[in-house]
Amino acid sequence: MKTLDAGVGEFRFTDPDEIRGWMRTHKRREFVDKTLSEGEAVRRFVADGDYVSFDFSSFTRGPLALIREIIRQGRRDLWYCAKFTLMESTLLAAAGACSRIDAGFLGLGDTLNRAVEEGRVQVTEWTNGTLTLRHLAGSMGVPFLPTRALLGTDTLRYSGAKVVEDPFGGRPIALVPALNPDVRLIHVHQADVYGNARCFGPGVSPLETAAASRKVIISTDEIIDHDDIRKDPAKTTIPYYMVDAVVYAPFGAYPGGLPGMYEMDFEHFAEYNTLEGQGNLKAYLETYVYSVGSHEEMLAKRVGLARLNDLRRRATIKEGYR
Amino acid sequence: MSEYTEAEVMIALCARLLENQKTAFIGFGMPQVAAILAQRIQAPQLVQVFEFGAIGPTPLTPFVRNTMGGPSNCYRSIAWTNMNQIFAQAQVGLVDYGVLGATQIDIYGNINSTMLGADYKRPTKRFPGSGGANEVASYCWRTIIIMMHEKRRFVPRVDFITSPGFLDGTPGARERAGLPGDTGPWRVVTSKALFGFDDDSKKMTLLGVLRGLTPEQVLAEMDFKPLVPRRVESLVPPTEQELRILRDEIDPAKTIIGRTGKV
Repeated sequence: MKTLDAGVGEFRFTDPDEIRGWMRTHKRREFVDKTLSEGEAVRRFVADGDYVSFDFSSFTRGPLALIREIIRQGRRDLWYCAKFTLMESTLLAAAGACSRIDAGFLGLGDTLNRAVEEGRVQVTEWTNGTLTLRHLAGSMGVPFLPTRALLGTDTLRYSGAKVVEDPFGGRPIALVPALNPDVRLIHVHQADVYGNARCFGPGVSPLETAAASRKVIISTDEIIDHDDIRKDPAKTTIPYYMVDAVVYAPFGAYPGGLPGMYEMDFEHFAEYNTLEGQGNLKAYLETYVYSVGSHEEMLAKRVGLARLNDLRRRATIKEGYR
Repeated sequence: MSEYTEAEVMIALCARLLENQKTAFIGFGMPQVAAILAQRIQAPQLVQVFEFGAIGPTPLTPFVRNTMGGPSNCYRSIAWTNMNQIFAQAQVGLVDYGVLGATQIDIYGNINSTMLGADYKRPTKRFPGSGGANEVASYCWRTIIIMMHEKRRFVPRVDFITSPGFLDGTPGARERAGLPGDTGPWRVVTSKALFGFDDDSKKMTLLGVLRGLTPEQVLAEMDFKPLVPRRVESLVPPTEQELRILRDEIDPAKTIIGRTGKV
């Protein structure tokens, strides 16, 4: 296959056989209770320098409780996959937890833009679709997948993609390298203690990202019986053997919403926007991350039952989310 | 005549382009409002698709900014899929229109939403990047770009091609790069005018100017000169019906329609 063009961006790539070896030895097929606190899950499964991916967005079913815990524990030098991100990447960068970003879409507000201008965060250009496609390749155990996006653009030039002559049709086609994140974070509606997980509504790439990643942490608003999973298998989004930790985290997407269960907290985002606009995310992080010991303590002390109940009350649209 | 904002002009002009019973890939923010307006007027069965995989929703109003993936925007969808599936559907040719915002555009419809400056490594201004715009501009049959009409946004050459227009404008440039054939930017909707692209030269072409403006006034706010045919249409400003639906039903909080100046 003739290579016609190649991007100059740095990218993460792992040999498919290395990933197969990891899946063989690390992904447990035994049915074991994987429930952990968010603190313990992050201590065990997120290390400095890890490549971290997530699903879906900070407004809707994002893993915000887990993101805050990573910041609380002071992880450094993460390489973050910003495939549909808004607040997650911005908070990680503001806290100094990530030094590299694959974009996608950088974040919410100007904080990350400034960090890139000043060289504090390195970026490789991708697109939401090609980052998701890289996860699909990683989840399939193949080294790359072809796409007709990126072609002809500077996005390709500063990505890690290559353009080759399609060996079947002869035309130029872009190839994106498989991505196998070290860590994958996802918040779901329901999971059993083994990690069989359900998320309802549309999504970015909940299954591909779980299947591609070495270490998968799930946070869930509800823990359900294993029997419930077997009674309605069509609802299973992620099978248990992909999952390493199950964190019980009601309101784990807060301040984002969880479709059918609670709405996003607009007041909270307004506060965030104000502080972000003032370049004062330190104050935000102090209030919602550093000054509390856990997600539960944050909800109790910084949000309160009345507001949480109101967010639940406003989630009146249930259809499709059960 | 009633007063209206620049955003209301852009949204109304864009909404009028969207056809009933066609599929349209809808970007974040203003394109969403334009699609809802089209659904409320001439295109009740406009099938909106979103990059997180929702197909064919009938979004509830008032429109709530930011909750794109949430229940009110995804209300009464036909299907909920995911990003790989929906971009594959666009790539195989099932999506008729793409509707995108842009920071900067050039005469060949190339879009920049990544950075400003001569040196990529040292941007004078960084923006969030492609998001899903590169896929939309690559795959959809007809791409519509909505943007504020400001001189700094209409430049001879964009600093960074985030999403492909007609590239260097030479015949077949998109196809030579490997992009799907017969795709590309189709209309550019601004707060003052409507543009298309010349079939042969692929240059941006002035199709219409907002009633009350002259082509010269529109061109004065651009850093390149588009093609200007002998006949340039006079564009009807937002109608009473459009404004009523926008202001009373879709965006009473004015989160989108109130973010720009009055015309």
